[in-house]
Amino acid sequence: MSFRQARWDEPSIWDLAPPGTAEAPTPIFGIPERLRRKEAVRWPELSELAVIRHYTRLSQMNFGIDTSIYPLGSCTMKYNPKVSEALARRRHAAELHPYQPESTVQGALEILWKLERILAKVTGLSEVSLQAAAGAHGEFSALLMVRAYFRDRGELGKRTEVLLPDTAHGTNPASAMMAGFTTREIPSKDGCVDLAALRAAVSDKTACFMLTNPNTAGLFESEILEITAAVHEKGGLLYYDGANLNAILGVTNPGRMGFDVAHLNLHKTFATPHGGGGPGAGVLGAGETLAPYLPIPRVVKTGRKYRLDYDRPKSIGKIKTAYGNFGLDLRAYAFALAHGEAGLKHIARRSVLNSNYVAAKLGKDLPRPFRSLVKHEFLLSGTPLRAKGVRTLDLAKRLLDEGVHAPTVYFPSLVDEALMIELPETESKRELDEFIAAFERAVRDTPAALHAAPRSLAVGRIDEVRAARDPILSWKDLRARAAKVEAPAPVSSAP
Amino acid sequence: MERWIPDEAGEEAALRADLGIASDEELFTDVPKRARMGRIGIGPGREEAEVVAAIDKILDRNRPTYRYATFLGGRISPRYQPAAVDAIVSRSEFYTAYTPYQPEASQGMLRTLFEFQSLWIELSGMDVANASLYDGATAAGEALLLCRRIHEGRRFLVPASLPWEEKSVLANYASGPGLAIEEVPYDARTGGLDLDFVRSAVQQKDVFGLLADVPNGFGHIDEGLVELKGILGGVPLVVSADPLALTVLEPPGNYGADVVVGEGQGFGIAPSYGGPLLGLFGCRKEHVRAAPGRIVGATVDAEGRPAYALTLQTREQHIRRSRATSNICTNESLLALAFVVYASVVGPRGLAELERSLAEKARSLAGVLADVPGLRAPRFDAPYLGEFTIELERGSAREFLDHLERRHILGGHPLADPRPGAKSDGERILVAATDSINDRAIQKYASAAREALGVSGGET
Repeated sequence: MSFRQARWDEPSIWDLAPPGTAEAPTPIFGIPERLRRKEAVRWPELSELAVIRHYTRLSQMNFGIDTSIYPLGSCTMKYNPKVSEALARRRHAAELHPYQPESTVQGALEILWKLERILAKVTGLSEVSLQAAAGAHGEFSALLMVRAYFRDRGELGKRTEVLLPDTAHGTNPASAMMAGFTTREIPSKDGCVDLAALRAAVSDKTACFMLTNPNTAGLFESEILEITAAVHEKGGLLYYDGANLNAILGVTNPGRMGFDVAHLNLHKTFATPHGGGGPGAGVLGAGETLAPYLPIPRVVKTGRKYRLDYDRPKSIGKIKTAYGNFGLDLRAYAFALAHGEAGLKHIARRSVLNSNYVAAKLGKDLPRPFRSLVKHEFLLSGTPLRAKGVRTLDLAKRLLDEGVHAPTVYFPSLVDEALMIELPETESKRELDEFIAAFERAVRDTPAALHAAPRSLAVGRIDEVRAARDPILSWKDLRARAAKVEAPAPVSSAP
Repeated sequence: MERWIPDEAGEEAALRADLGIASDEELFTDVPKRARMGRIGIGPGREEAEVVAAIDKILDRNRPTYRYATFLGGRISPRYQPAAVDAIVSRSEFYTAYTPYQPEASQGMLRTLFEFQSLWIELSGMDVANASLYDGATAAGEALLLCRRIHEGRRFLVPASLPWEEKSVLANYASGPGLAIEEVPYDARTGGLDLDFVRSAVQQKDVFGLLADVPNGFGHIDEGLVELKGILGGVPLVVSADPLALTVLEPPGNYGADVVVGEGQGFGIAPSYGGPLLGLFGCRKEHVRAAPGRIVGATVDAEGRPAYALTLQTREQHIRRSRATSNICTNESLLALAFVVYASVVGPRGLAELERSLAEKARSLAGVLADVPGLRAPRFDAPYLGEFTIELERGSAREFLDHLERRHILGGHPLADPRPGAKSDGERILVAATDSINDRAIQKYASAAREALGVSGGET
């Protein structure tokens, strides 16, 4: 495929027009002088068309799922159905204030309640809360629930440790730290949790074991029942990171596998858009042990009425303002309704089929570190490229020139020069074949071409080291630089 | 409906044939039988039109804010959003993208986030800003953790007037490292922070930070704000500020704030029953390496052209893992886009003018409510912009608001913590002037309030 991204020589917004007047805004009655703004906010006064043109041009220098296959491992970059976008923009959904009387938001509460019931069934856990803003936020909240549970049992002083495999997403150890635990990594064996190592590590200090299954190597942890039993035997709890749920929808679920608490990412499995980094929506599911600790309020149904229940004495309280990311919950609800029982199961089958199909093809180009049967994603190692002086990073950049997004690279760290590739169920065989062809062209290209990539985008290879070494983080920084450059060299004063 | 799972001419059979498998079941031999589930237990799939019909039917049970004279505020505003904002936010190059890990392919979002960071810096008077957090409350939580990284101590001071939700969120962020949240009492007349309390708390050495909000939880502007840093000295000051208020108020950086956070929803984002929201976060340059979240920096490409990338990533969870400054991964980038488009379409003069008009409406509302017997409006004697607190001398805030709702008025929200057994400082309601109300709505509020209080007064 021949591809060239738009390359607008577009200035930053402040260079489109001079900032408006520096004069202070008209004083507001009652606001004392010392609290008044003395100068207007420094930002340009622009016509609406100028603003639209600016951001439209910027948008044309951005890959999205709608422009390009986006095989980022562990991110589940599936098609975001347009009907969900349309529904979330309905005035009866968008123009609701969280502090309206409950009688005026019965529809919103009904959607939340119904989505929670669906997700409880999908996860096999008894209760669900939609308050978390994202996956990592769900992890943090769940670990606070774990903390509260052990505090109630008088074991908090003792159970200070969270165990996690060396393949865990970075958010897992970071969330554990934020929730006040220490972390301990369990080594992997052939890409899966080393059960013997786990058994040796789990103790009465263990608060919980965090695991994603299928894991970040794309492998299903087949010893999952032994894993969860080993932790439970020592009184620890099991946390399921649902980032990779797509592969097992309707096949198994965290409850069946023995997990006590889980988070899901609606922006992965339930196709709400990633928004260039967010917003997401996190789901917290809890079994009976931890359900009393879920954040308040909980949505409950009494007769035909829905209401918010704050009477949960064991709850950890609030984790964000209002109830949750309703706009995304609504999108996810539409996605779940459209798919239904058979559709959700089909998602798992097809995403795994897609991933194994592409893995088998690309496995001829680069080595696959572990067993061949994978779930939603798979790993390749770019180590053979070293022989021609090329790294995984070069391959990733060269793929961009094909008009496809690069996979996740250099993660998980147990595989050298890793590429982590996920092909969700919404990609057709034709798209997969194009991706395979693009990958093969890239991997076989000359070292010179790989080093020079990308050449078809708005910018060439970016100097990220310079960005970190000499941080310029705003217009204010740019102005300071310009002032330094323009300032005349200091002249010694005349005698 | 499985329309979004492609089926171009029996392609699944072709995929299976290529893999040499007869059925998809062979792809799941690694899932032990004992862990398998049967039915999920949800209904059959539906066609798109059926989904729309079903959801519209449910949504019809909502009564959105535009059907009312709306006086709801707090951190969330039902404000008009120019259509231009959604036109940009709806560009799928933006909304279907992931976090810009491949900067060359994502210059559009990176440049937008750089502009967003720059705008929050101009508003807040900070040196650096990140590319967004979940919402104002979690941004305050992250600010608390930043304070602890840059200052010793176990106690973090917050206003007793802070909305109960935010106190609860802060308590959760503090609980991991075993830190304590301590409430600073407010002056009974002005609702402002008790500065003597702050002074003596700081002298006890154990305080690692203080958060003040503007407007405060009562909707007022605390005149003591500008004196706080003088009292705190080296103890970090966090200010949680409303971005619209900052178009007319002194940037907190000018009175010594070390961190400025805020809720950005009012800038181009629909309330959507409270989410998604937009967490704003900025701090001083010397603390940037202790700051949470994604940060975009300017650099150059191989040919020396200006280019942008995520930077200072060694702070972040995907690199630093358990030693990261935060666990945040997904943020609110798309809403950061909405924020900067909104501010640019309305413009700095338009924003200040909007805040001025809200303040005028609030003043005229306070004027008419002051004459309603049984109601103290405003409850506190302090400056305000678009919102303030009223207090009922009889009846409950909830019943009062329910009565107003029947008169097609969303009259504000109760400030009390709704948890059973929570202590209450009185039947207080935060009332906000919104851009959609006019004089008639204000008069209507006053007469409905009379009715509500008169009825309950008459019956007792």
